Amino acid sequence: MNAPVSTAATTGASGLAMLSMTEAADAFAAGEATATALTEACLARIDAHDGAVNSVIRLDREAALEAAAAADAARAAGKPLGPLAGVPMMHKDMYYRAGKVSTCGSKIRRDFVAPKTATVLQRLDAAGAIDMGTLNMAEFAQNPTGHNAHFGDCHNPWDLAYCTGGSSSGSGAGVAARFFYAALGSDTGGSIRLPATLCGVTGLKATQTRVPRTGVMPLSFSADNVGPLVRTARDAARFLGVTAGRCPGDPTSAPEAVPDYEAALTGDIRGLRIAVCETSFLDGADAPVVAAFEAALDVLQAQGAVVTRRSAASMRAINAYTAVISRVEGAAIHANWMREHPGDYAIHLSSRLFGGYALPAHLYVEALSRRGPLLRQFVAEMLDGFDVVATPTLKTRVPTLAETDIDADPANWARFMAVSANTRPFNYLGLPTISLPCGFDDRGLPIGLQLAARPFAEATVLRAADAFQQVTDWHRKAPAL
Amino acid sequence: MEPELVVPTMEAIRRWSGVAVPNAAARAGLADHAALIAELAALRGSMVFEDEPSSFEAALRDLKEAGR
Repeated sequence: MNAPVSTAATTGASGLAMLSMTEAADAFAAGEATATALTEACLARIDAHDGAVNSVIRLDREAALEAAAAADAARAAGKPLGPLAGVPMMHKDMYYRAGKVSTCGSKIRRDFVAPKTATVLQRLDAAGAIDMGTLNMAEFAQNPTGHNAHFGDCHNPWDLAYCTGGSSSGSGAGVAARFFYAALGSDTGGSIRLPATLCGVTGLKATQTRVPRTGVMPLSFSADNVGPLVRTARDAARFLGVTAGRCPGDPTSAPEAVPDYEAALTGDIRGLRIAVCETSFLDGADAPVVAAFEAALDVLQAQGAVVTRRSAASMRAINAYTAVISRVEGAAIHANWMREHPGDYAIHLSSRLFGGYALPAHLYVEALSRRGPLLRQFVAEMLDGFDVVATPTLKTRVPTLAETDIDADPANWARFMAVSANTRPFNYLGLPTISLPCGFDDRGLPIGLQLAARPFAEATVLRAADAFQQVTDWHRKAPAL
Repeated sequence: MEPELVVPTMEAIRRWSGVAVPNAAARAGLADHAALIAELAALRGSMVFEDEPSSFEAALRDLKEAGR
């Protein structure tokens, strides 16, 4: 295990890399740090440590430094600055940028040149963010562990033998390692929240349809979500404010107005009603996880929140139907490649996709048709009279790469599939959900707290998460690489 | 021991989709379907189509926080 270090001291180049995204943006806006210095601090961390972590697929070093110099010049000239101006980021290698290769973590798309730029990248560009390149990920965003047979496994910066979580493995590992201040992930069954948890950072999956998906590799049209991995809830609030909102190119994106999420971060959660869902989410949970989860609830209660234990009869159906939708949609998307190039997939991916072809069409239709009614039932059970649902993000301690490696041993199947047990249901339900660090297990690996709320209540989960982070420092701890 | 459903399921996939079993892990994954089938069987009768039009997107909007 790599012992945590405090990130309180932020002087010098290495100190700059320890800032949160909003701290870096605000330092740039105030003239306290240049974009060039922020970018160089990140590049130095990548140069020093990514050989071990393996989070980066493509580093656009010169382009990033040129963009940073342009940002510095713009500020010096008094030009208007966006809310993310001067902040270096990298993104999961499935967000298309016109003319650039987007591998999707695969051999099949190793040379795929994107024909257009993703809406979320356009919005980040407009906000002034500096794009330094692309990140390692599970092949086609299809595993929850961080294994990748084509670009090499991504390694957890807290202990290189352990999983990063997936599928946004490079996003979680790189934010934790202080290689950049924020990264786009994607979340179809937990792929933002799991690497956030396993790597000890903060990850937000917004309400289904809240963030447009134009120019993003699809995995499951019904359950795919775009969102950030960052250090703090405040970072997530600002990032979401930039990326959310209707896009004509994505007719599924929600027309609801985008509120000022940062304005909701009052630190005041007196009277916040938290429901702990005891059905399913705590079954078989490891003792260190339960202890950290209960301690986190104690912190929230000490701040004035009211915690109540609830059960949800809807969970059995939710869990069953969740398994149906993503398997079938993934199988359909990959059908031609599974026929023509099955050997180009990693074993763990082709084996998961294969099962999707066996599921009857009527069950897929049933799973989709029950989604609305089951959402209504779950909300009635867990959120009528309550503001937030709380669960551990991952039931178990962080597993090692070896013990979840299906390619090496199919007997690891059950442990591999169990990783996303607590995150998948919220994709079926479409609810906004955040994961934030709430402790460490007995092996020194991070533990995550998951908070969900009603549709479009991102401000509520962000307010609760931010209040928790105002009185704890789990999110400030960084691995000593 | 491999469940009985694995071989006929592989054959059905090949016939309907033209996809051949890619590896041993895929066979192991099909064995996992026995549990999913049992779960879905247990839901029979409790899950019915509703007479009135409804959709997931409509539910998302209906269930928003009051005042939002």
